[in-house]
Amino acid sequence: MILSVTVGVLVAGGIYLMLQRSMVRTAFGVSLLSHAANLAILTSGVPARREDALLNITSAAEAADPLPQAFVLTAIVITMAVTILMLALSVIGHNDDLLRPPESGESHRP
Amino acid sequence: MAATLLILVAALVVSPVIVVTTGRRAGWILALVYLVAAATFLPTAFAVWAGDHPALTIPWIPELGVEFALRADGLGVVFTLIALVIGAIVLIYSSGYLASASWGQRMSFHPTMLAFTTAMVALVLTDNLLVLFVAWELTSLASFLLIARSGAGAEGSSMRTLLITFTGGLILLAAVASIWAVTGTSSISAALADPVWQENPTFAGIVAALVGVAAMTKSAQFPFHIWLPDAMAAATPVSAYLHAAAVVKAGIFLLLRFSPAFVGVPAWHALLITAGLLTSLVGGYIAISQDDLKRLMAYSTVSQLGLLVATIGVGTEAALAAAVVHTIAHALFKSGLFMLVGVIDRATGTRDVRRLPALARDMPIMCAVTILGAASMAGVPPMLGFVSKEGLLGAMLETPGPGWAGWGAFIGMAISAVLTFTYTAKIVTAGFFDGTNDREIKPVPWSLTVPAALPIIAGLPLALAVGVLDAPVAWAAAAALPAGTVPHVHLALWHGVNPELIATIVIIAIGVVTIWRRAWLRPRIERRQPPVDGTVAINELHRHMARLGHLVTRMANSDGPARPLAFIAASLVIVVGLGAGYAWRHMPPLQPGVSQPLDALFLVLITAAVLLVCSSDSRLGATVGLSTIGVVGTAQIFSLGAPDVGLTQLLVETLTVIVIMLVLQKLPLTFGRPGKNRRPLALTVAIGAGVAAGVATHVFNGRRDPSDASQYFLGSGAEQAGGTNVTNLILVEFRALDTFGELAVLGMTAVSMIAILSTVRHRHLDPSPRQDRSFVPTPEIPLREPGTLAHRAITQAWGNAMHIQMLLRATTPIIAVLSAWLFWRGHNHPGGGFVAALVGSCIVAMAYLATARDRQIGPPKLPLRLITAGVVVAITTGMVGLVVEGSFLKPIHVHVGDLHLTTSLIFDVGVYLAVLGLMFTTFNLLGTSATTAKQRGEQTRERADEAVEGELPGPMDTSRGERPIQFGPRTSILVQGREFKR
Repeated sequence: MILSVTVGVLVAGGIYLMLQRSMVRTAFGVSLLSHAANLAILTSGVPARREDALLNITSAAEAADPLPQAFVLTAIVITMAVTILMLALSVIGHNDDLLRPPESGESHRP
Repeated sequence: MAATLLILVAALVVSPVIVVTTGRRAGWILALVYLVAAATFLPTAFAVWAGDHPALTIPWIPELGVEFALRADGLGVVFTLIALVIGAIVLIYSSGYLASASWGQRMSFHPTMLAFTTAMVALVLTDNLLVLFVAWELTSLASFLLIARSGAGAEGSSMRTLLITFTGGLILLAAVASIWAVTGTSSISAALADPVWQENPTFAGIVAALVGVAAMTKSAQFPFHIWLPDAMAAATPVSAYLHAAAVVKAGIFLLLRFSPAFVGVPAWHALLITAGLLTSLVGGYIAISQDDLKRLMAYSTVSQLGLLVATIGVGTEAALAAAVVHTIAHALFKSGLFMLVGVIDRATGTRDVRRLPALARDMPIMCAVTILGAASMAGVPPMLGFVSKEGLLGAMLETPGPGWAGWGAFIGMAISAVLTFTYTAKIVTAGFFDGTNDREIKPVPWSLTVPAALPIIAGLPLALAVGVLDAPVAWAAAAALPAGTVPHVHLALWHGVNPELIATIVIIAIGVVTIWRRAWLRPRIERRQPPVDGTVAINELHRHMARLGHLVTRMANSDGPARPLAFIAASLVIVVGLGAGYAWRHMPPLQPGVSQPLDALFLVLITAAVLLVCSSDSRLGATVGLSTIGVVGTAQIFSLGAPDVGLTQLLVETLTVIVIMLVLQKLPLTFGRPGKNRRPLALTVAIGAGVAAGVATHVFNGRRDPSDASQYFLGSGAEQAGGTNVTNLILVEFRALDTFGELAVLGMTAVSMIAILSTVRHRHLDPSPRQDRSFVPTPEIPLREPGTLAHRAITQAWGNAMHIQMLLRATTPIIAVLSAWLFWRGHNHPGGGFVAALVGSCIVAMAYLATARDRQIGPPKLPLRLITAGVVVAITTGMVGLVVEGSFLKPIHVHVGDLHLTTSLIFDVGVYLAVLGLMFTTFNLLGTSATTAKQRGEQTRERADEAVEGELPGPMDTSRGERPIQFGPRTSILVQGREFKR
């Protein structure tokens, strides 16, 4: 299945970015991972059926599986919230280096 | 039987009152309670000895089939009577021992003792595996409390006791759970009679080992013996009870209880005989060198229990009968000897033999009693200990296995008996005859001496009339044998000349020599002691465990998230990759048509974009790559027949890119270089995870027909909800609670953002741009004088913002109408609250980007109000559904003419408001300019405060008082070449 390769590429890219020093890159990595997860969930239905799940133009026998779509729709919005929060964190201090000790005075190591 | 337990439980409940009201007489009263309980138990005991099994069942957890089941058999009777009678004697002794104790000391002693006895009696009488386990743990807890109550010095030893006995408890839990799972019953008698023990030798072996090890922890068998000498920190009555009747006997009981199932299991015999003999030799050897009489006693208990364990391991009729007799004998002489040590301690103030005077002259009666007890322990006739020791020796000859095994075990036990004789003799000689110290000897009250002497003296007539024990021992052994066998037991002092008797004569002979030459022998033995102390061993173990723990925490012990994330990703590789690899062969074939040519195109595009994001050092470049992935991914989603998802994805991508751009203006231009090792490590993990995820997707997906759920939604579900856009129907009608949660997540994201940014100080949140490593100072460009067109074009943003503001006038109404239209059509066509709200958010985004000055859009408190309103609307709709239709969020349908209305539309309004609130917050908080500081604009911290507090007065409010500038086709500020004035 070609889509499984797409999922693999996106996961590899996502994990690579998440392991970088920059918070922005990590946020991008989360975004890529979420794309991969969404595609994986969508294909968990019946990826051979690809007609829109709109019953006024498609018959129920040809329509794509609507259940994973509903899951993914929720997931997309949650990803947006997560990405926005991570971006907000990365902008604190105008520096998103995750290994840089914070300048606010607290000690770096526990 | 029920009465016995009821009396104990009732006494446990009222024991604090008894302690408070009667003070030092509490011990007497509670001893009386024990004796009454024992008396009420006698009918049960006689019934058992007549061959009956009185039983009582009280439902406890009917759902699991667990009953508080009691079933008396020979074992239960013997151990109950030991626990109650020795308990009563110990309680009487304790009233003398604790005579000067404080109220608190008494309060911590008596109720715990009662709980201890109650748990012990429940343990030996129950017929339910779960009750057995709970009672077992309760005895562990009670012994822990009794040791810990002795003060700060006992802290370490009580913790070590708890550690070892609870380890055993966990092992017993594993055994009990597997027995329950395999036999399918929680009844002990039914489980023991199950044929599985013969049919499945592997299972029988594993469970036998688990039960054996659990009992070894409790009965202080090597190498778990360390807790018992450690527990000497406890008060003497506690030690006496612990050693003679309770905790350690619980382990012996457990072995006897499960013996019927495991007789014939090689692992059972090998484990118990080896561990038992080894323990008795080690314990005996260490006991000889102890100078503290109490510690000596403790190691002697270890040694004696080793003998018991080995004998139970033999598992024949005679062996089990001998084990029961020795359990009784040991309970009597060990409790008595312990209390006698307490008497010596009370009289002289020390238990150390090197500081004792020769007590025989001053305490002749005590000396005589001690000699009797020692004789019993050493197995000298005519004491009960002699009868039992003969039985143990004889049992060894029946050891299963090759012929030498029996003689080997016999000789091992004989050597142990010599050690026993030697350390027992040391108690008498060192305690009463060899002392040279001339310290003062205080009188000891009879409430201490009489209870101490009682159990020892009882061993003498019992030995002479040992026949009275025939029935109890026979029935106890019967309970420890496979069903149906009742051994014929005939106990007597004289059995004729046999190997046991000869061994005993040899043992006594050697023992007498050791007494005679003790002055020469003792220093030679005491120098050769094991170098490892148990306490040290446990502490070392603890230290190494802690180091191992630190090693494990290193997986997460990092400030950056990369390290824990790498381990999580690596475990994904292992778990998912291996699981998928294993499942591959068992999966149905791929369905035809899961791959289509367009997919390949998307794959190429996405791969290129992923490479761009990952390799780009420029933040802008990476963002371009990310949005490419977003767009191509959207196209892929559309091609999969998910128009709603695609629309949402596209809008989310758009808005996310805008947010990223707001953030990037405040960050360095490039990402900075990673460390030397980071890239190869990250690549390895990433590629592994990618392969695992790809393989898993390929193996698990695209191989089945539509699920029942999706067929339902496509069929009757859609009809019932009265719509045709099935995905959206699922979201707002069937899975509305999920959507509600999602709305709450969006709202909470905004709240968290405000909360986090409010906690950081302004100068850390928005430091001076000069600290930025990629900071480029504003170049000094020679400009014409202020007020000229060129000057304004460089220094002011009006000109740049004007076009987009003009454009917005036309687009805003269009987008608004579009948003409303999407909102309305969601029920039947792609659209719905989320999509509409995201389109609406585009208006906000555009408006924010179009302002020429750095200012918030909308009143500061608007975002939080929108979110609140959204949540309130959603909850209200849900509650209406709950009240009218009886289910939270269940939509109500109304038909007005041709128009089909439903409350899920109102719910969608809530979603709309929450999304809008989040986008307002995001733009206002993240959109502050990096260079605003110079231009007196608002900054992040101030905006975060204002989002909660509303407009704040202060020096920075200059830009906020102004109304937005209205541009029109005829606005002429740029043409007229002067500062803007209205």
